[in-house]
Amino acid sequence: MPDPAASRTPTQRPLRLGVCGPVGTGKSSLIALLCRELSASWNLAVVTNDIYTDEDARFLRSAGVLEADRIRAVETGACPHTAIRDDISANLMAVEELEHDYTGLDAVLLESGGDNLTATFSPALVDVQIFVLDVAGGGDVARKGGPGIERADLLVVNKTDLAPYVGVDLFRMLADAREARGDRPVVGLSRTDRASIDELIAWLGAVRDHHREGQWVPTDPGPMAPHFHAEDVPHDHRHEHEHPHGHAHGH
Amino acid sequence: MTEPAADAGPTGAHASPAADPELFLLLLADARLPVGGHTQSGTLEAALAHGLSPDDVPGYLRARLLGVTRVEAGTAVAARAAVLAGAALADVDAAWAARTVSPALRDASRQQGRALMMVVERLWPAALPPLAGIARPARATVVGAVAAHVGLGAASLARMVAYDDVQTVCAAALKLAPLDPFVVTRWVAAALPAVDEAARAVADVTDPADVPAVAAPQIEAWAQAHAVTSRRLFRA
Repeated sequence: MPDPAASRTPTQRPLRLGVCGPVGTGKSSLIALLCRELSASWNLAVVTNDIYTDEDARFLRSAGVLEADRIRAVETGACPHTAIRDDISANLMAVEELEHDYTGLDAVLLESGGDNLTATFSPALVDVQIFVLDVAGGGDVARKGGPGIERADLLVVNKTDLAPYVGVDLFRMLADAREARGDRPVVGLSRTDRASIDELIAWLGAVRDHHREGQWVPTDPGPMAPHFHAEDVPHDHRHEHEHPHGHAHGH
Repeated sequence: MTEPAADAGPTGAHASPAADPELFLLLLADARLPVGGHTQSGTLEAALAHGLSPDDVPGYLRARLLGVTRVEAGTAVAARAAVLAGAALADVDAAWAARTVSPALRDASRQQGRALMMVVERLWPAALPPLAGIARPARATVVGAVAAHVGLGAASLARMVAYDDVQTVCAAALKLAPLDPFVVTRWVAAALPAVDEAARAVADVTDPADVPAVAAPQIEAWAQAHAVTSRRLFRA
């Protein structure tokens, strides 16, 4: 890891935010939501990585929340995991091109192609990452764990309004997620639940402030941990820190 | 991550003990090099979409090795020679552009060149000055400059570029068509004599004017069609 002290100078570089998670959990919708909520006050651009290039970009363009040229698609050759983790070059070029073409960006949002539970972003590509699950994917998914669920900067459990229709105990699912993540934040999100949207936006605003002040150090969710059941393992509370927890620390 | 820039190139000002250039050949030919190789199909995605049968892939490999791949390999060899001679790389890059008719293929190659430049900036900054005057160098131009820097010979460089083209097409074929990976690997092995032949045909190029001018109009047309489709797995 880099020396955190070396990074602590105010930065002009836009915050690079990654959104990943399994197919269909609502990554594009989450990015469209962020664009709608923030575009009045934030200067934004988006990179998408759908397996078929243009799908997500078209969805976002059709949502009309951002001008079309600020939403760019990167082909991943059916390797969405590679494109955000072990060969970030195509995505990094797209991010840098947007930062070059649009001066004064506050954030570049990067949507990964839908992948499995092991996929997380390289900290060389994004400053902060959100892992997205949804209640319709099953109430037990949060309990399965994995690097994104356990250690992404934020876990969003999406589509909470659907829980009664898919037979998921939302309270239990959110409790499982918090159990798996210790003191890392979890937001149960629904586009029909204003309070949940406000919670998400407040978290991201705090992250951006930390980033601007040079206090934010990208944290790698890390490799897949050996299999365990979250409820069997007490969380290590030696690291006392406030949210959002941008500083570097080893787990 | 912010690691201090190091220059491992044997001709760099602060060179570490030189490794055998053939090891750099392996590094540059390795699909794990983070230069976005997984985003390229060698126009195979478009070819299959426009009627090429997966069974025709071996023939497609031969056609490329007789045509576009010689432009790429010849350009790389000429770029290496220009760097070693202190001549202008821009002339080599212009010779490549004149022989690469499809704007989509030029753009894809320049994207790949940029990806490789990101590696060069971090690993071999001493290799950058000859490239400085070119806004968006082609991949072949950058590969040639890297070869000059790490001490890789012209024949090895030409073989690497030609071999990489074969593997790019074949790896993409496995993503695009229901093929047996062992069969496809046999196609790669069967193409090796043609790889060698293409490499020998360009290994002695020094003058950019001698880079083969062998366009493949059908491949160029497929590449153009591919650039405007909204459903593609591969950049080009």
